[in-house]
Amino acid sequence: MIPVRAYLALLTTYLRRHRGRMVLLGLLVAADLAVQLAIPQVLRSVIDGALDGQPVDRLGLLAGIVVAAAIAHQVLAVAATWIAEQVGWRATNDLRADLTRHVLHLDLGFHKQHPPGHLIERVDGDVTALSNFFSAMVVKVVGNGMLIAGIMVLLLRESLLVGGVMTLLLLVGLLVLGRLHVVVVPWWRAHRAIAAETYGQLGEQVDGTEDIAANGARDFMQERFADLLRRWMPLEVRGWTGWALMWSTSEILRIAMLVATFVLGARLLGPTGLTIGTVYLVVHYVEMIGHPLHQIREEMQDLQKAGAAIDRVRGLLERPSALPAAGSTVLPAGPLSVAFTDVHFAYDDADGGDVDRVDADGTRPDRDDPHGPTPVLHDVSVSVAAGRVLGVLGRTGSGKSTLARLATRLYAPDRGDVAIGGMSIGDVANLRERVAMVTQDVQLFRATVRDNLTFFDRGIDDDRLHEAIRLLGLDDWLAGLPHGLDTHLGGQDTGVSAGEAQLLAFTRVFLRDPGLVVLDEASSRLDPATESWLERAIDGLLADRTGIIIAHRLHTLHRADDVAVMEAGRVVEFGDRVALAADPDSRYARLLAAGMEEVLT
Amino acid sequence: MSTIEHRHEPHADGRLPSLRMLVRLMANQPVRYPVSLVLWTGIWSSGLVVAVIVERFFDGIEAGGPAGWTVTVAVGGLLLWIVVRVASILFGMRWHARVLFRAGAAMQRNMLRWIFGLPGARPVREAPGEVVSRFRDDVDHTLEAMDLSVDFSGAIVSATVAFVLLVAVDPVLAGVAFAPMVVVLVVVWVLSARIRAYRECARAATEAVTGFLGESFSAAQSIKVAGAEDAVLARFDVLNERRRAMMVRDRTLTAATDTMGESTGTIGTGLVLVLAAGTIGATGGLSVGEFALFATLMGQTSFAAFFIGTFLARIRQAGVSFERMVDLMDGGQWQDLTRHNVLESPLSAATRTRPAPGHADAPLVSVRGLSHVHPDGEGGVRDVDLDVNEGQLVVVTGRIGSGKSTLLQTLLGLLPADRGRLEWRGVEVTDPGAFMVPPIAAYTPQVPRLFSMALRDNLEMGESYGDRALWTAIEAATLRADLDTMPAGLETLVGPRGMRLSGGQVQRSAAARMLVRRPDLLVFDDLSSALDVETEALLWEQLFDGSEPATALVVSHRRPALSRADLVVVLDHGVVVDRGTAQELRDRSEAFRDLWG
Repeated sequence: MIPVRAYLALLTTYLRRHRGRMVLLGLLVAADLAVQLAIPQVLRSVIDGALDGQPVDRLGLLAGIVVAAAIAHQVLAVAATWIAEQVGWRATNDLRADLTRHVLHLDLGFHKQHPPGHLIERVDGDVTALSNFFSAMVVKVVGNGMLIAGIMVLLLRESLLVGGVMTLLLLVGLLVLGRLHVVVVPWWRAHRAIAAETYGQLGEQVDGTEDIAANGARDFMQERFADLLRRWMPLEVRGWTGWALMWSTSEILRIAMLVATFVLGARLLGPTGLTIGTVYLVVHYVEMIGHPLHQIREEMQDLQKAGAAIDRVRGLLERPSALPAAGSTVLPAGPLSVAFTDVHFAYDDADGGDVDRVDADGTRPDRDDPHGPTPVLHDVSVSVAAGRVLGVLGRTGSGKSTLARLATRLYAPDRGDVAIGGMSIGDVANLRERVAMVTQDVQLFRATVRDNLTFFDRGIDDDRLHEAIRLLGLDDWLAGLPHGLDTHLGGQDTGVSAGEAQLLAFTRVFLRDPGLVVLDEASSRLDPATESWLERAIDGLLADRTGIIIAHRLHTLHRADDVAVMEAGRVVEFGDRVALAADPDSRYARLLAAGMEEVLT
Repeated sequence: MSTIEHRHEPHADGRLPSLRMLVRLMANQPVRYPVSLVLWTGIWSSGLVVAVIVERFFDGIEAGGPAGWTVTVAVGGLLLWIVVRVASILFGMRWHARVLFRAGAAMQRNMLRWIFGLPGARPVREAPGEVVSRFRDDVDHTLEAMDLSVDFSGAIVSATVAFVLLVAVDPVLAGVAFAPMVVVLVVVWVLSARIRAYRECARAATEAVTGFLGESFSAAQSIKVAGAEDAVLARFDVLNERRRAMMVRDRTLTAATDTMGESTGTIGTGLVLVLAAGTIGATGGLSVGEFALFATLMGQTSFAAFFIGTFLARIRQAGVSFERMVDLMDGGQWQDLTRHNVLESPLSAATRTRPAPGHADAPLVSVRGLSHVHPDGEGGVRDVDLDVNEGQLVVVTGRIGSGKSTLLQTLLGLLPADRGRLEWRGVEVTDPGAFMVPPIAAYTPQVPRLFSMALRDNLEMGESYGDRALWTAIEAATLRADLDTMPAGLETLVGPRGMRLSGGQVQRSAAARMLVRRPDLLVFDDLSSALDVETEALLWEQLFDGSEPATALVVSHRRPALSRADLVVVLDHGVVVDRGTAQELRDRSEAFRDLWG
């Protein structure tokens, strides 16, 4: 019914840390329960006592107890909620952190398939459903469930017949509710899936307003969004219908119990049977069942959502990275050699285990890749000795960027081996410290300049930052910022031009001490003047380091010791740059000639 | 240098009229909403019938009359009641779900339309993750208030009827019984400012978490390569921790106001007993049936107190959400958010300015004194004069940060111009954002975006050009070779933001998207930055060396562009410092020789 087992399986480790709080929570819920169950008993004593002509003082005292108990219930319920929320949020925050860590460690192929908006829905939307699950589960479902059970026990104590009939009715009611639940969960799942799709699309549109506006596609995109909403509405109505069905069931149950009370009460009333006060007690308890059932039912809605959310969170957590875990060998300081041996690689877009599949319901056909994996690199063998610089040339789509992603282990080769410093790249423990890469897409955070440069690493002091900034000649830029390193950047490249972002990315690399630097189209967005300014910085960066430079323009390769020319996923030419330039039959020399021609026209 | 901090304009008049906004949402569905209101008021008030049946039952058995008759009437009444109840719940719920969904969808569409109406290059301050949170969570919060409004009405009606019924029994006791409910309402009223403040903090803390997540996932590759996962997660922990504190505070206060309503019934019953316990069963005192009526009605109206309290609290919280949504709509008023639209029909299309015939001898485009200053007062462009004649290629060049992209964006209305005059064939253009779109002008930004749909849809973006035109554009954009490697061809799904394509493929697709529109003026910003030498050379050849050379205004510092240009404009610090052909500039301009390398 309620996915308690799945929930516990997912969150036990996180909840274990809060044992003390959970014990306290149990005590509060139990005390609240006792207070609620006692109130009708006191009321019965008042009615029967009044009909017996007991003294007014005693009746007044009992009535005062009712008022005090109602206030105690209020206080206990709030305290229980507070503790439950604390535990729920602490535990799910830990889960959020673990999920984020997991997602960040997943391979790049995964990130290319799942837009950030969609992942937010997975990591935060679904987990928030779980944080409500805990407080709802303990305080509302378990607390109210025990309240109902307690009422049944007390009714059995009054009369086996009355208690027996009520318990039977309750069990039938719960059975029907359970059946309904099974029917309704898929309805909610479909509802959540279309929500994720709608907001994924929205995030993308909001990010692309410039393209949309400039191509006159505002109306089209608006309609595209509206179409999703139109598909969503019937699913929304179906979800609410599920809720209405459950509510109706518990109303029917309540009336059935009231009917039973009337029939049995009228029959059993009398000196040997029930007092009028006891009949009132039964009515009061029956009316009391309505409220906890209402709360349980209301929470069911959340819990149903949680069922789907748990599936998706587990799916995401269990999704393996296409990259095997890092090894344990530590790379030494100093420049590192790189060697590709018979490397074969294809992007595998249509891989299984997609977290979306869980909530797919056939509503997301666009997640499937229409074409199978296409090989991108074939039998690539190329090596760079430690301290040398390799320039890679080739048309777009020839596999240059893939080569860079394999050298930084963003992907692992399907066949063959990539070795760094003589060790297979998969065996290296400290690859991220020793290998750096700058690509043309620089992502900035809405955070301070400092945090953007250090990636929030507080261990990097300002002196080192200032030195790196000075080395790159960014000190003028920094001096122009209103709060220096503490200036907040707009995020999403707002406020920073593409070229400045590129310079910031270089600073990020400068802050580390890599033995291998991969520059993938790094300077393509810089104008020649800025580029030549940056050239000096790159010279400093590559000094005593190994470099792989992937460039579209010939003159950015002047510092390369070796040159590799790529075509359709193969290295078609490789050799010493000067020697190749001197050989008029080499492709490199022909490209140089073409470049010269370009200058001449 | 460019924008560091976006201007933030709080609403001058402070708080929004959240109640009026809510009423406006209701009035937008002048039939559907009242039906919901009547239905749900009826559903909640019908609970009183059960209390009356219980009273009659106890009065019947206490009087010791014919028990069979009492039971038959009571049971018959209950059965009739439940049939009506179930039918109205099922119908009412489905009806109400549609009403709420339509209200939410209308706000979401209004927000998206507003965002699309802002200058395209500077849409909203918020990161996409934060925008999504406002579309999702804030819409939900306001709908919650609208949802509770029908329950609120039911609560008021049923509480009033219950009060009248009890006054008929004993006015003093009725007053005492209802006193706790009044106290609760006053307390909730007093707490309302705090409820709102807590909710505001909780929402802001949540937004910080989702915003940070969005940015981290966007930057996944950089984070991976830098091995910065742990540091990023440490920052995430700090934000999470803050959000926990805020959420727990908010939730606990909400729970407190909720249970307060719930306890009022029992407290009221207890108070009635304190006064009247001695008189139960006595002549002139309460009968057991009347006491049962009190207790059951108090149980019913405790729901009423719950709904009244919750509704009042939710209105405050909806106020926060309204404010955040209006805030997202930069420069918008609350009326822009709640404006009526029908889900089934498209939003009225933006009115297009039709090109006036113009003068044949005037330049195609002409700007005088065009200026755009970035909000922080730095960067931008100042007093740019520029003409592009039919058939000309005009290249804007200059150092990084010299305002090249800003010039194009301002000319196209993607950024607001602070000063200056734009003419198209000699006729003034007053709203470049609406005018400079296909078929007048088409534009490819420096980092173009594609959308998660088929490549064909990305090229057409809602128009239908036909395969022939598409393939011509693809050919011209040198995208043909790429398409040959895609088995699904034009139906290839490009993935979110076009991420399944390479950077060069995205750029060539964006170029094809621009070309297929066959605009009078092509505008593109550094189109070739992700292209290799050969592809780039081919592209320039396709575009400008044919029999019908295109008219184009481009940003580039690449030689194939500069050498073909009819006019090169050199920008420096947002000002035109020189203009002429590449040959002329090479001879006379040191700035240009610097750039030329």
